[in-house]
Amino acid sequence: MIELHDIVVKFGAFEALHNINVTVNEGEFFTFLGPSGCGKTTTLRTITGFIEPVSGEVLMQGQDITHVPIEKRNIGIVFQSYALFPTMTVYDNIAFGLKIKKLKKDEIRDKVNTIARKVDLSDEQLKKAVSQLSGGQQQRVAIARALVTEPAIICMDEPLSNLDAKLRVQLRNELKKMQREFGITTIYVTHDQEEALTLSDRIAVFNKGYIEQIGTPNEVYNHSQTEFVANFIGDINRLGDGITSSLQLPAGKNHFIRLERVRVNRDREAGEYQTQGVIESREYYGLYIKYYITVAGQTVKVIEKNDGISIYEVGDTVTVGIHPRDVMSYDEQE
Amino acid sequence: MENRASLGPKKIGGVSVSLLYKIFGGVLFAYLFLGFMVVPCLNTLLSVFREKNPETGAVEPLRVINYFFSGTMPSFVFNSLKLAVVLVITVNVVGISIVLLTEYFDIKGAKILRLGYMTTLIYSGMALVTGYQFLYGRDGMMTQWLYNMFPQINKQWFGGFYAVLFTMTFACTSNHALFLRNAIRGIDYNTVEAARNMGAKPFKVLFKVVMPTLLPTLFSLTVMTFITGLCAMSAPKLLGYNSINPQIVELAGKTKGDIAFPQAQAALMSIILALFTIILLTTLNHYERKGHYLSVSKTKAKLVKQKIQNPVSNVLAHIYAYVLFIIYMLPVVMIILFSFQSFGAVNAKKPSVDSITTVNYYGSEDIEIPREGRKPRVVTNAVTGVFSNPKTVNGIRLSFVLAAAAAALACVIVVVAVNYIFKHKNRKRAALIEGCLLFPWLLPTILICYSYRIFFNEKIWYVFNQNLCMGDNVRLLLIIAYTVVKLPFALRMIKAAFYAIDEELEEAARNLGASGLVTFLRVKLPIILPSVLAVFALNFNALFTEYDMSATFFNPSAVTYARVIESMSSPEIQNDYNAAGRQCASTVFIMIVSGLVLYLVYGIGARDLGERLERRDKRKKRIQKMKAALHLPAKAEAKAVE
Repeated sequence: MIELHDIVVKFGAFEALHNINVTVNEGEFFTFLGPSGCGKTTTLRTITGFIEPVSGEVLMQGQDITHVPIEKRNIGIVFQSYALFPTMTVYDNIAFGLKIKKLKKDEIRDKVNTIARKVDLSDEQLKKAVSQLSGGQQQRVAIARALVTEPAIICMDEPLSNLDAKLRVQLRNELKKMQREFGITTIYVTHDQEEALTLSDRIAVFNKGYIEQIGTPNEVYNHSQTEFVANFIGDINRLGDGITSSLQLPAGKNHFIRLERVRVNRDREAGEYQTQGVIESREYYGLYIKYYITVAGQTVKVIEKNDGISIYEVGDTVTVGIHPRDVMSYDEQE
Repeated sequence: MENRASLGPKKIGGVSVSLLYKIFGGVLFAYLFLGFMVVPCLNTLLSVFREKNPETGAVEPLRVINYFFSGTMPSFVFNSLKLAVVLVITVNVVGISIVLLTEYFDIKGAKILRLGYMTTLIYSGMALVTGYQFLYGRDGMMTQWLYNMFPQINKQWFGGFYAVLFTMTFACTSNHALFLRNAIRGIDYNTVEAARNMGAKPFKVLFKVVMPTLLPTLFSLTVMTFITGLCAMSAPKLLGYNSINPQIVELAGKTKGDIAFPQAQAALMSIILALFTIILLTTLNHYERKGHYLSVSKTKAKLVKQKIQNPVSNVLAHIYAYVLFIIYMLPVVMIILFSFQSFGAVNAKKPSVDSITTVNYYGSEDIEIPREGRKPRVVTNAVTGVFSNPKTVNGIRLSFVLAAAAAALACVIVVVAVNYIFKHKNRKRAALIEGCLLFPWLLPTILICYSYRIFFNEKIWYVFNQNLCMGDNVRLLLIIAYTVVKLPFALRMIKAAFYAIDEELEEAARNLGASGLVTFLRVKLPIILPSVLAVFALNFNALFTEYDMSATFFNPSAVTYARVIESMSSPEIQNDYNAAGRQCASTVFIMIVSGLVLYLVYGIGARDLGERLERRDKRKKRIQKMKAALHLPAKAEAKAVE
């Protein structure tokens, strides 16, 4: 378990983190999510010890580690670039930490072989140079290297960001599987909301050095606590005056609805507000179709499953339904 | 909390160890910089203000300067400038030609041509000049040949300005062959195609699209060539051209009895040289900072060689290419050829199969000189090979040790310094250290050596009250001088290597428990090691045949290999019958050493771990195959017997 209490980090005059408070539970897959420059990596580096906070404390299993040197923290890291040592073989990369700990040769060999098997690296691959491996294999080496010293937690800093889209999805699944198998507490940093939603047990959404919300994927997506979270995670419609007044939503607030919650040509549910709209344009994605519909003087984006039934042409008139329970409302910000 | 205390920095007597290291390092660095760069050079430069008028006893710098300008010295300065200016033109013409002919235009046999044009990479300086002299000098083969055709020519034709210009024009294209070639290879061929597509003719493309991207490289090469011309030493000295550097060396050996104000005059000449160097390098630096034309393309297309469409131009280009090839190759071929010829054949410049011998390399022979009516006089060991001639062997050994020591020292100093610089990026200390290490770049080599020779020629308190110019001490002084002049090059190269170290690698090592020292030794050093070894090898290469610096110290303890080679071409040598043959053999030896070093650096050294492992696997498989081929029939036979 790791806890951050009132962490403040400054770079010169710039305050990068303002009173960060997070508790990551044992065995949890916890994600720091946010746009670039929001403080998620800074928070991670504070945990790993590369950055020393101005105030606040970092606790691991209840012990203060705020000022413990990096190498004594027992925290594994998988870097964005993987940071595999180019002058060493795969085996030597994984064995590096164990050699530093001055373990016996046999013990090192056993440990490296065991972890290599677990992350699916063959004996043949262990003998190779890291440059001879594919991106996915390199990632597995990085994970093996981080895990072999049996750290209490493992931190991953955007480990999928320099891979192509297809591999990213594939490795995402592998990562999750591995984490489940090892049962290790994992802190994961990403700016990719899809990655965060699919992988995490819980997510902390960062913005400008603050944490906007901590919650399960469902909580942050469907019950976003702030306007920033609602906007940052997934796509969303901001409802204009025409719709909000028809729905009798309170004034002085901003109201939003997710794309998939807008109902097109459906039977009216109790409490639902329905009106006519015209298909303005559409984007075809294969799995689904995204429609831009002009409703009550504004454009509303809608996602419809590509089921062969609900396919509309530009210019078609459709019935658009919005239920007040799907609307997320936030106080207007200054 | 207990834990934390034990993790704190180590302390001795209340002072942390790392602080002690820093203080020690800082003091040592300051001692070296001030003691071996600033003070000796300043001593030379200030000598102008120390000369006293013997009549009045007053210090009169103006009188010295007036004397300097009314004497012959300004003509030496003028000669150097003239050489530099003309050399810039000729070297660029030849240098651009050889690169375009081998890399840009479609010339038949480009690979062979390239090898010929690159021969100056493996022999330069004294070895090259003596080679040219061997060919074109008074008794040279080419001179002989020309004389047979045109008996009216002056056999001494190869001397003075034009001889120096000719030799240096071809000797100084090495940098073009390396850097301009890289630049032209970096061109995105799509830009050429785009220009062609828009209707530009081939030569228009060359001048409007290709050349502009080469301009920054050409500018740097021009500056480097100019400085080379200005500081030329071996060619003017051997071929008889009065320029600055040979003159300073001469002044270094003169006393006030020989000439008025020798030191002040040398100082003035050094100042002029330094001023030119500083102005040129500052311009270059400023220009480089403005940035290069980096190719914006992400998907670069490889350059396709351009065929010269006009048949006449094509033939002319081929002729030009092969004439240049002959000029480059002729000395090399002749040197190799004559290195295997007996002294008689070498002296007569008539090689023959009967005269083939390896005695110029190894072994010795006695010579019988016939005398009328008496028994022939026998001169024992009159002919000796490079590795059997004590003088030559001593020269090789000395140069080897000095060059290796200095090259290693420069690498160690620069690696430690750059590691520090990278740790303290954006701090004034880092910039200061970098500036100090680049400082020798601004000073002409000859100024540093001359200053050493004058300043350390008396007991100096901060070098343990020793006279470093006396006896074998001079070797230490040479190592220091070699190291100092190689620092800037080492710094530029090794700093570039450090940029290749991903910061995350360092963090990863620290995270896995490695201390700062272990991280440096196990992670950072292996990454930069190929570059460091390359710097070591290239510096070793240059210093092994170095002439200019060791010539400044006339000391018999400082007779380096290049000076031995020089002595072989002086006509006064007696009873050394195969001096010319041994000189050729020496040059061949240098070519082999340099070629080997370059192969190690650019061939083997450039391979990364992956490539090395792949090659090892292939080798293993080949050996297995060979073993299998040898064993299988044996087994089959055994079975047959059963």
